[in-house]
Amino acid sequence: MRTSSQPFTRTLRFLYPLVVVVALWQLVVSLGVVDSSVMPAPAQIAARTAALLYVQPVLLLYLGVSLYRVAAGFALGSVVGVALGVLMGAGTTPRAALKPVLDFLIAVPTICWVPLLLVTIGMGDATIIIAVFLGCVFPVAYTSMNGVRSVPGDVVLAARAMGAGRAAILRYVLVPGALPSIITGLRLAVGYSWRALVGAEMLAAAASGIGYMIYAARAFYDVNAMFVGLAVISIAGLTMDYVVLGAAERRTVQRWGMVSGT
Amino acid sequence: MSPRAWRVVRWALPIVVLLTAWELFSRLGVADSILLSSPSQSLRAIAAIAATQTSGGHSVLLLHVLSSVGALAAALLLASFAGVLVGALMGFNNSVYRFVDPLLTVLMPVPGIAWAPIFMLWLGFGTPTIVAAGALAAFFPLAYNTATGVRSIDPKLLLVARSMGASRLRVLLSVCLPGAAPAILTGLSLGFARGWRTVIAVEMIAARLWGLGYMIMEAREYLRPSLIYGGIILVAIVYLLLERLVVRRLEKTTVERWGMVSPLET
Repeated sequence: MRTSSQPFTRTLRFLYPLVVVVALWQLVVSLGVVDSSVMPAPAQIAARTAALLYVQPVLLLYLGVSLYRVAAGFALGSVVGVALGVLMGAGTTPRAALKPVLDFLIAVPTICWVPLLLVTIGMGDATIIIAVFLGCVFPVAYTSMNGVRSVPGDVVLAARAMGAGRAAILRYVLVPGALPSIITGLRLAVGYSWRALVGAEMLAAAASGIGYMIYAARAFYDVNAMFVGLAVISIAGLTMDYVVLGAAERRTVQRWGMVSGT
Repeated sequence: MSPRAWRVVRWALPIVVLLTAWELFSRLGVADSILLSSPSQSLRAIAAIAATQTSGGHSVLLLHVLSSVGALAAALLLASFAGVLVGALMGFNNSVYRFVDPLLTVLMPVPGIAWAPIFMLWLGFGTPTIVAAGALAAFFPLAYNTATGVRSIDPKLLLVARSMGASRLRVLLSVCLPGAAPAILTGLSLGFARGWRTVIAVEMIAARLWGLGYMIMEAREYLRPSLIYGGIILVAIVYLLLERLVVRRLEKTTVERWGMVSPLET
């Protein structure tokens, strides 16, 4: 069975279907079943990747720029989102005042803000970072609010009976109690941020970024570069999800004793 | 006041306050009133588009809305067929699940709009590209949730149905489908949200003439912030209406009719 003691077997199990599909894909294109100028073979895409890494080395630069933008937007969005969510979860008045607005804003697809930001701010990093911010701030606020509200009322009453003030209840009861939801929300928000980044870069990046690369490749019919971009988006997205937040979850939630038995 | 009316008031009040503040800021000239626009200007911009007629005598706004909703419906139809088929295969057969799961895991983090340039190359500008990207985005939650739904069916139920003489098709339609229905509908409502976002996004770069995404992007070309604001609000309203009136209702009727909500009552 799958256990964590066999990471090697698990990796093989994960990679095996990908290898099979890539091999089939290569075969189909090599045999000329599909036109390689429209559907490039994996070997062509690999060659283009190498070219983008060594001949005309922009890939790592673009990836770096994209990661910077997504990190900045996500950092802003998670700080503001958690603060807003905790405020709304803990206070009845803030919740009554803000929840309807949040219900509405969460229904707006993030990409819709980009044309507005283009008109008001213009092309470039600021617009993209704000778009990423908007992509994650509302969902993070929502999950944080629900997390705080899920803390049982008698726990709060018990803390109060033992003489805890409002700040102490917030610091020692509500926030730790909401932490699993907050972490789950942040983890989902990494995905939202990444999605918002790609869309925003396609519409608003002046000259760099992975989304820009895919969109600009259209002008040169550079299908290979488009597939390179998709692969980078997928790998970077998965890596962020598994490595960064998996680790954060293990460290914080377990340390705060919210995981049973481990 | 009845509790229901009171709820509506409590929900609407913050929004009314926000819109009034926005209008005031704009009127008082606190910020650039062209960029900031205002609720009344946005409403007027939307009303102007709604009143504009095509040569065929249809409202331009209506065509934008119908184009987006139609693309979403087509995308969801495609995604449901493909997603339920793949998900059912994954649910019934473990080796299929083990083979397909890594492929879906790798493809799922790629947002629908990132596929748009490739689809534009394959399918050209316009509706086919928009529908294809929307369908791809909606496919993943449908496939995963169908697989989960099928796997959650008690194998005893299948054995009972078979031993009472039900044909394989009958078991599929009368046991598996209702059993997996709640999960499939969860997948559909997730796919609906993903599909809508993708349709609007791809319309911004790949639409020929119609669609709410196209309308917003066009308003940007002509530097008309009031129409952009109006468009954003409209996109959210259409989404919320479709969600409340179609998706939730569908969930309610099918799942309740098949008795999947509270089996204890029957």
